[in-house]
Order: sequence, then structure tokens, then C-alpha cells
Amino acid sequence: MRNFRTLKFLARFRGLFTRFGIDFDAMQTILRIKLTMDERRVPTIFQNASKKKDGNQFLKSLWIYALYGLVLIPFILLGENYIFQMSIVFGMLMFILMTSMISDFSSVLLDVRDKNILHTKPVSGRTISAAKVIHVMIYMTFVTASFAAIPFIASVFRHGLAFGLVFLIGLLFTMLFIVVLTALLYLVVLRVFDGERLKDIINYVQILLSVGVVVGYQVFIRSFEFINLDMVYVFEWWHVVLPPLWYGASFEVFLHHDYSSYMIVFVLLAVIVPLISIYCYSRLMPSFERNLEKLLSDTRKRKKKWTGLDELWGKVTCRNKEERLFCRFAMLMMRQEREFKLKVYPALGIGLVFPFIFIVNELRDRTLADISTGRLFLFIYFCNLIIPTSVHMLQFSGDYKGSWLFKAAPIQQVSAVYSAALKAFLVKLYVPSLALLSIAFIWIFTGRILPDLVAVLLAGIIQTVVTYKFINNENFPFSKPFEFAQDGVGAKMILPFLLTGVSVLAHLAARAVDYGIYIYIVLLLAVVVIGWRVVFPKRVKAIY
Amino acid sequence: MKSTGEKVLSLRNLTMNYGSKQVLRGIDLEVYQGQIIGYIGPNGAGKSTTVKIMLGLIDGYKGEVEVFGQNIASGDPTYKRRIGYVPENAEAYDNLTASEYLTFTGELYGMDRNHAEEKAVRLMKEFDLGDVIHTRLSSFSKGMKQKVLIISSLLHDPDLLFLDEPLSGLDANSMMIIREVLSQLAAQGKTIFYSSHIMDLVEKISTRIVLIVKGKVVADGSFEELQALSEEGTLAEIFNQLTGFTEHRSIAEKFVSIVREEDGDA
Repeated sequence: MRNFRTLKFLARFRGLFTRFGIDFDAMQTILRIKLTMDERRVPTIFQNASKKKDGNQFLKSLWIYALYGLVLIPFILLGENYIFQMSIVFGMLMFILMTSMISDFSSVLLDVRDKNILHTKPVSGRTISAAKVIHVMIYMTFVTASFAAIPFIASVFRHGLAFGLVFLIGLLFTMLFIVVLTALLYLVVLRVFDGERLKDIINYVQILLSVGVVVGYQVFIRSFEFINLDMVYVFEWWHVVLPPLWYGASFEVFLHHDYSSYMIVFVLLAVIVPLISIYCYSRLMPSFERNLEKLLSDTRKRKKKWTGLDELWGKVTCRNKEERLFCRFAMLMMRQEREFKLKVYPALGIGLVFPFIFIVNELRDRTLADISTGRLFLFIYFCNLIIPTSVHMLQFSGDYKGSWLFKAAPIQQVSAVYSAALKAFLVKLYVPSLALLSIAFIWIFTGRILPDLVAVLLAGIIQTVVTYKFINNENFPFSKPFEFAQDGVGAKMILPFLLTGVSVLAHLAARAVDYGIYIYIVLLLAVVVIGWRVVFPKRVKAIY
Repeated sequence: MKSTGEKVLSLRNLTMNYGSKQVLRGIDLEVYQGQIIGYIGPNGAGKSTTVKIMLGLIDGYKGEVEVFGQNIASGDPTYKRRIGYVPENAEAYDNLTASEYLTFTGELYGMDRNHAEEKAVRLMKEFDLGDVIHTRLSSFSKGMKQKVLIISSLLHDPDLLFLDEPLSGLDANSMMIIREVLSQLAAQGKTIFYSSHIMDLVEKISTRIVLIVKGKVVADGSFEELQALSEEGTLAEIFNQLTGFTEHRSIAEKFVSIVREEDGDA
């Protein structure tokens, strides 16, 4: 086991931890173990020597955050309108931190395995919760650092050291704020709900939060008005609840010496709210741990759910009994696998909301009647952006160990397992989302776009198959642990996403010619039929 | 039951509810030093819940729980220093190697890191696990993992052991070793509290057997005392009788006949 540099660094604050009644040595021991485990996420089932990778996969994926961070640079270099520029910067930072926190680190906060292993040892609950938060903090620091490092350096060059200092302190407080806020949110949910319901609620909170962050970001941008191409900030009382403004304001106060009362209030909030949250967290943590136990127990009896619709879809879409069976299985898994929902539904929500956000944006300078004759319905392609993530996630399951069944059972046609899973995804998630959008879009753009919608659907199916071929290819669905969901995705996921762009271009081209759209539909249909046959050949696989 | 030494455990009118479901309905139990308690009962009787409460894993119980004379409701975890625990379903951090995991738990119990590691290695060798000391637990068989968990519960030389199905997955030889280890530890004044479904084992090694059914103690005493309570011979039969279960044969018949039914679709 290595000695982690992070831990050595933490050791400098030993006194501080001890003052808060934390057993520093025990905490360090726990953290060392946790960090060691993070470095080794190797699947135990279907062990495959070539796949064995060491090293912290999460740290290896940090470069993608650095890439995202480049987006901040124009905002920082743009000018001297700090409240505007820096609020946007902090808005983006919070967005990134919050999404990463929810999707990647919720499991750390809600880990029930710790209960049996750690709480049976003579270590105080306070120490264990401190270890938990520090564990998350370490990663959040890495995320923040990779996201903000380059913009930070740019800011020092452009606006000077004082600016950099305010920026740095702002980053620190933002990070604390986001981590503790998430923990507090879970705390409330854990207190109110129980058993399986609790798990569902946590799931929905996570999903809502992810969508909320995106929508909130849009609202936040609206709080600035464009006047003569220059952003002028006008205070409204409800801006008090927009955290990015708190941090943006601190630049105005300290660097532009703008001492308006609302600016001062923002700065105070920026400092006080995180501190209060930390205080609340440390006070409430024992009850958090206690309530975690609720995640393990479910005493309610349940009735069998009605699955008639699933049966019907299975019959409509699948060729034989075996495939139908896997289709029903995949539908069940998608409905009940919480982590799957957590990773996929936010993308789904965003896919549903974004087309409207763009249309509403257009409404600022055009009328609805004007829009309805144009080509803005192509925004519906945002819906297809959910495909790569969803198809990728089909590989994973919290109960991946159960997948020995695929190998033990006498399956005639192995390719049917995945083709069924993809069909299940299409009919359970993709088609309903698209249908929902289509109804709204037909209302806006009239029935003339019907052929276009068909083309979108067919392009979506093609994208599904291509994505599968490109990133999953031939694994059994639901057979890997979610920890691997991060692995080497970055570059590989770009192509499937680009495919949506390609479909839009092809669609535009088809629209440019008379009756082109119909030819396009026929072409797509042919590709769907042939593509599916090629990717999922109807052969019986030899035993391997 | 006669007291033989210090009172180690004391449960007074312990009740526990999960929502509206009552899991424990008033358990009274006193355990003295050197006893080997076999804690038995049907699935869902509340065995694990009792153990988890004593380990401070579950709050919200009613009644009093004292371990080494200390009321555990005070929230002070130091009493756990003298306890060893083998959890029910072999939960561990599987990504760690055996030696890492053992050193880690040893350290959590306040042992020196090097000392813990060295002792763990020696114990592993005794259990024939010398080759896999630096192998990850995820590749261990169930029995091997169980041995590691048993070592982890004993590493810090605890005075009280809680074992939840300690022998699951072990082969016959290993079982004999563990049995012998337990009796020798008890002879040296350690107290052992374990639950198991393997009745002839419980019968052979326990100095005292506590049977709970639906959250209540229905029998408590040595095997001989339990035998006197019932006309049956083995503990398994006593168990059946005291839990009011007599129809195993007819259930089995029904079960087999359902298995043997023709497939409707075929």
C-alpha cells in the first residue's frame, strides 16, 4: 500500500481535526484504504487479463474536466464586467461540481457497506463521517483544480494577483458549499423516507437535481439583460438565491470597490452559507449515519406490477421467444436499476428540455408563427443525444455479479441478448421521449413535419446500433459494475455523439431537395434493416 | 444459568421495530465470561438484529443494552475495542489484499500497523493461506474469505466475539480447527456469542443455547437442559419442536411434486 501524498498534506491539519473531536489516525487509516481501493477497480466476474488496469481511473479521466475548463477562458478574458463574467464562471463551476458530485460520489456518501465494516470498530461516528467527507473532498478538489487551473492562470495574467486571490478563495468556498449541500440534501431525504421508497426518492432527487442544475443555469443567464451589446446587471430580490452571483459579486466588491448594499449581502452569503452548512452537517451527521441503515431494510409487501405493455412491446419488436424474454428482462432492469436511471434520466430530462429552451430563446426576437414555418424543428435531434449515454450504460448493473446466468443458461442465440436490450431501450426510453417531443413539435410546427419526425426516429435507431457496435460490442448487458462506467469513455463517446450532428446535416441536405425527405426515409429504413441484421447475425454461437 | 465470571452482556427488555413490524419483542439475556452461546432461531427471528444492536450498528431500539457493564446508548465507541465480529454475509472491502484488509481492521482496533500486519501474516499461515496473503479478496473462494474474516475478528485479541454464521463455506477440516479455536478461547476466558443454522455444531460446542422465535426467547439453557424440555433427541429435532415445525416431510413431498410437473408450454 502506498503512502498517498494527499494524506501527507492532510497530516498538516492534524491539530484542526483533533480540535473537532476527530481521531486523526483512524481517519487517515480509513482514507488510505479508501484511496487504495479506488485505484483498483477490477471486475471480479468475467475476469479478463487484458482488461486488468491499475491506477485510479477517475484521476485518469480528469483531463476531460481540464478540457471543459477551457470554455471559461473567454469569459475571464472578455472584459472587466466582473459580476457578469465571474458569475458565469462560478455558475459553470457549480454545474460541473454538482453533476460530478451526484453521479460519481453519491455512492461514497451513501455507502452502506461501511456500516458493517467500520461501525463495528472502536471508531467514533464523527471520525467515520469526517473520513467520508474528506474522501469526497479530495476528489472534488481534483475536479475543481483540473477544471479551474488553466482559467485561474489566465485570470492572474489578465487581471492581476488580487483577482487571482479572490478567485481562489471563491473556488474553495464553492467546493465546500457543493459537497456539504449535497450531503445535507441526502440527510433530509433519509430522515423523511423509508426502505425501498427511500431509494427511489433519492434516485428522483438526484435526477431532478441534475435537470434542475441545467434549467437553473438558464434562469441564471436570464438575470442579465442585453443592453446595447453590453451586459448590465440589475438587482432583483430573487437573485439572492442564485449562488453564482454571490461569488461573482465578491469580485465587484473587492476589485471594483462597489459597496452597494446588495453586493455586500452577496459576499456575506458567499462566506456564511458554506460555513453554516458545514456546521449543520457536522451536527446532523450522526443521524445521517443512523438513517443510512434504512436503506437496507424493506418491510413492505408488494404486489406484482402490471407489465402488459412490456409484454406487448416484446411481442411487437422481437423475432423469437428467446429474444422476447431478454427484452422483458432488459425492460425490468432499466426500470428497477436505480443507478442506471441515475446515469441516464438526467440526460433524458435535458434532452427533453433543451429543444424548448432553444425555441424560447428564438421567441425573444421572432414570433411563434414565424418560427413554425422554419427549420427549428431540427432541435428535436437533441433527443437523440440521449442515445450514446444510454447504450453505454446498458453494460452496467449494480448486480453485475448475477450475470453468470448468461453463461450458465442454455442460450441458443447469444446476439439476441443485446439486440433485445437495445430494443428495450428504444421502446421504453427513446420512443416515449421522442413521442413526447413530437406531440409538442407538431403543435408548434404543424403536421408538415411528420415525415421529418419519422426520419429522426430512424436516424435514432441507426445511432443506437452504431453506438452499440462502437462501444459495447458483444458484451452481455448489465454485466459490469458501474465503477467501470468512467473507464476510457471520453474519446470513444465522441463519435457516437457526433453521429447526431451527422444526422442533422443529412436531414438538412435531404430537405434541400424536393421530396428528398422521402428518399432519405427509405434510405434510412434500408440501413436500419440491413444494419441490424449485420450487427446481430442470426447465428447460433459456438460454445466458447 | 449459573454465573461463572464477570457479566459481559446484559440485555433487558430489548425491543426493536422496523416501521410497523416488530422484530424483537422483549429479549432478556445475561451472558457471563467464558460462555459459548449458540444463538439460534428460524430465518427472520431477529438473530442478526440482536447482534447488530449490541455492536451499535442499529439505533432506535428500546430497552437496555450493556456490554462490559457499559450502557452502549452513551454512543462512546471504546467498548468495541474488546469485541470481534464476523458479519453475516462475508462483507469486506474486496478490492484489498488479505494482508491489507487485516492490517486495516487491526489498525482500526488501535493496533500498531506493523504489529497487526506481522500477526495477520502468521495467522494466515496457520490457516493455510500463506500463498494468498498478498492476493485480493475478490479472487478468494467463500471459505478462504471466511477464514480471513475470522482472523480479522480475532487479530486484536478481543474478549467478546460475535460470530454470525462463522463456518459458512468452510470445509470439514477448517471447521474442526475453528471449533477447537473457539473452545480453547472460551477456556481462556473469552466469551463467544454466535449464531448458526448448523444444529449439530451448535449442539456440540455451545455451553449454552438460546433459541429465539419471532423476536422472543423461547428456550435458554445448556443442551442437556433443552433436552429435558422436550422429548426429542437431537438439537435439530428440539429446534423443530420448539419452533412448532413438524411438517417438513409433507412440504418436501409437495415441493418435489411441483418440480416434477410437466411444463405447460412444452
